[in-house]
Amino acid sequence: MIVSLECKKLKRTGFKAAFFGGGILAAAVPALNMAFRSEAYLSMDAPPVKILLNANWQMMAMLNVLLIVAGACILYHIEYADHAIRKMRTLPFSESAVFFGKTAVLVSACILLLAIEAASIFGCSVHWFGPAAGLYREILKNFGFFLLLMLPAILLSLAAASVCRNMWTALGTGVVCVFAATMIPAQNFALSLFPFALPFRTFSDLSGSAARNYAIAGAAETVGAAALAILILKIRRSFE
Amino acid sequence: MNIIETQNLTKTYGDFTAVSGISLHVPKGTVYGFLGPNGAGKSTTMKLFLGLTQPTGGSFVIDGKRFPGGRVQILKEVGSFIEAPAFYGNLTGEENLEIIRRILGLPRSSVADALELTGLTQHRRKLAKKYSIGMKQRLGLAGALIGRPPVLILDEPTNGLDPVGIHEIRSLIRSLPQQFGCTVFVSSHLLSEMELMADNIGILNHGRLLFEGTLDDLKSSAAAQGCPTGSLEDTFLAMIDADNRQRGGAR
Repeated sequence: MIVSLECKKLKRTGFKAAFFGGGILAAAVPALNMAFRSEAYLSMDAPPVKILLNANWQMMAMLNVLLIVAGACILYHIEYADHAIRKMRTLPFSESAVFFGKTAVLVSACILLLAIEAASIFGCSVHWFGPAAGLYREILKNFGFFLLLMLPAILLSLAAASVCRNMWTALGTGVVCVFAATMIPAQNFALSLFPFALPFRTFSDLSGSAARNYAIAGAAETVGAAALAILILKIRRSFE
Repeated sequence: MNIIETQNLTKTYGDFTAVSGISLHVPKGTVYGFLGPNGAGKSTTMKLFLGLTQPTGGSFVIDGKRFPGGRVQILKEVGSFIEAPAFYGNLTGEENLEIIRRILGLPRSSVADALELTGLTQHRRKLAKKYSIGMKQRLGLAGALIGRPPVLILDEPTNGLDPVGIHEIRSLIRSLPQQFGCTVFVSSHLLSEMELMADNIGILNHGRLLFEGTLDDLKSSAAAQGCPTGSLEDTFLAMIDADNRQRGGAR
């Protein structure tokens, strides 16, 4: 029920359009890149998915993370703009249930986003490189990995948005985190575990053990971010 | 039988005591007027009842449920309107009430019922952010009245309403105990309105309960203290003034 309620609350906010439009925009990146510079990539000796992701994922991931931050801000802005959260707090309903309802909505929106992007990578791969064996599996593995690595950023963006009554503060904080993430060197494993930097990693570009380490780190950060969000909600409540 | 009872309920913020050991007794099926100047602790007391803020001391029981253990049960039985209307501006009045209805698990008809009670039926499909102040106030009231809860906690429900609106809401509040068996705990600055609306009143000043009882009891008590008894406003002002002078003297 909570997820359907959160979806109802999003009417007329532009949330769905933002994610759909963002997905189309991100999906256009590999298509346009291949349309204009296909010779540079067709001569490479690597699996098509790896070539396409290496060439485009940084830009696509940047759009994804910015959409996560903006989406989290929209999800909580509707609660604070006309004090609706105050009414919600007087109903037999826990604030953490609201938080995880919003998390489910944002995760669903990210799945839609990744599905559009996966379709684009698949289309580009078939169109420019021709059909290849195991293409579906390769795309599913990569995009499943992306989703897992996005979860900490989703939870932390929502936690920041739930704390900041002013949407611009949460948005500013999120944008600073995204730009900080782009400056982190990928070679440094410890630094690359920064939650907003994780979504920039690609499965096909990592060795088996490195991918496993990132997957474990993503799962651990997700659990940590969820625990932190619950703690923030409880602490804030006890200070009111 | 009292539906709301507090025992030495206290709320402090650092050095400031917002509510100081008050013991309220709100009889079931009545309208209880909660009076006090700005900053007296009325809204804080109401927030305490709803679990929006934690008491520093004391305890309270609402309809037999003790806080904090029975908080969720209390919230299921209490309709509230605190400080100012709270709503989703991007949704229509009807959609706002639909969200509350689904959380409370009420029948679909309760939305139309709440809209009808507050005179918002005509405007149900308008976005809440485009409502006038009075309509927003009515939407807040509809959110409190939906499902006709046994206890209503209303903080300044007539703020922003025109005289016709004030009259309508007063008549509605006045009729709730008879019509639906509701108990209404209401605060207002409009003392003349309160005089027409309340069966019992509690007067709060600087977090302390100065008086609790019926309007007749208040007149007797005021007369005994040498305060004017012509109208609730005169009595109220005299009692607050006397308490402020006493507090000044004590300092």
